Amino acid sequence: METPYTDHLTSHEYEHVYEPAEDTFLLLDALEADLTFLDNLQPRLCLEIGSGSGVIITALAKRFSHGALCLATDINEHACNATKSTANRNATKVESIRCNLASALRTRSVDVLLFNPPYVVTSDEELHNQLFEASPESRHINMSTQRNLVSSWAGGKDGRRITDILLQQLNDILSPQGVFYLLLLRENKPDEIIDKLVSLNFKAVKYMERRIPGEYLYILKITRS
Amino acid sequence: MKLSTYNFLTSMAIKGVKVGYPLKLTINKKEVVETEFNATFVERLLPKLDWSAIYSAAQVVELTDDIPAVQPENIAENEQLMQKLHHLLFEIDVLDGQLECPETGRVFPITDGIPNMLLNEDEV
Ligand SMILES: C[S@@+](CC[C@H](N)C(=O)[O-])C[C@H]1O[C@@H](n2cnc3c(N)ncnc32)[C@H](O)[C@@H]1O
Repeated sequence: METPYTDHLTSHEYEHVYEPAEDTFLLLDALEADLTFLDNLQPRLCLEIGSGSGVIITALAKRFSHGALCLATDINEHACNATKSTANRNATKVESIRCNLASALRTRSVDVLLFNPPYVVTSDEELHNQLFEASPESRHINMSTQRNLVSSWAGGKDGRRITDILLQQLNDILSPQGVFYLLLLRENKPDEIIDKLVSLNFKAVKYMERRIPGEYLYILKITRS
Repeated sequence: MKLSTYNFLTSMAIKGVKVGYPLKLTINKKEVVETEFNATFVERLLPKLDWSAIYSAAQVVELTDDIPAVQPENIAENEQLMQKLHHLLFEIDVLDGQLECPETGRVFPITDGIPNMLLNEDEV
């Protein structure tokens, strides 16, 4: 897979949008390593939740655009715009939808699902209000930089609040043959997540892992069992 | 927003909404972007698409002469219809408009080609 160009995004965009980092590249590397599987799957609908700058879904779109529709959601409008422009910059097509997780999509449609979630362990307060439209008062104080960026990393207790909500909805999101690549941090307790997935009738393996300064990252590969 | 994407959008996340589909589409501004016709792609995607929403999209862009109200049999053998579906689903890009929940009337704006489906805390 080609690494998409991002030279159109400047520090101005990165005031509001999560800048591609080691976690982003680990997810890209996992997809690259699993291309044979993905080719065999012949995906028709790919979705990245929380696409941020859009590099991951753009790389996938470039590889599969002849056979698959690629969608991206994010709660942050700047991220939705950045994702579209990254796809354009790389001469491919990704459709941005501003929504919470996959809540605006018809059930059981997604063949390839990707999520690099807000995974940092924080207090639950830091998370509060991230998932909904800003109230008129807080919108007034400006839907600011801070709010956008906090929601790109703040994960609440165990860094798992958002991920756990998604796992409960996974059965309604994935198509029968669907696959889900999820990025996790050691603090998110990946083994606990694997057990939880098994109890939800999924199969999950640690597909890739990588130590980076200060963090230990995993990619779980999840399919129906 | 392409009309293929429109086919996947629902408002069922709203509290009390049963189906939330198809959403009522209004277009204020659209763009037609020619893209290469790929019959296999259209054919493979079709089973995932809902014909009622294909038809409601065709109504909005006034292409009902091209797209029948009921999905015909053996559609893949009909090259002409496949090309028309390709045009409807992949070449029409809605830049500005809105989607409306068929049950509650809740409106979701489409701005710069991006539908905003975010809900307020008291709606879910
Ligand atoms: C860690 S960043 C990852 C960004 C990008 N995918 C990457 O890998 O560089 C997490 C992204 O998820 C988005 N996000 C957070 N909560 C979300 C939710 N409930 N629904 C959709 N997106 C969400 C954030 O706005 C942010 O863009």
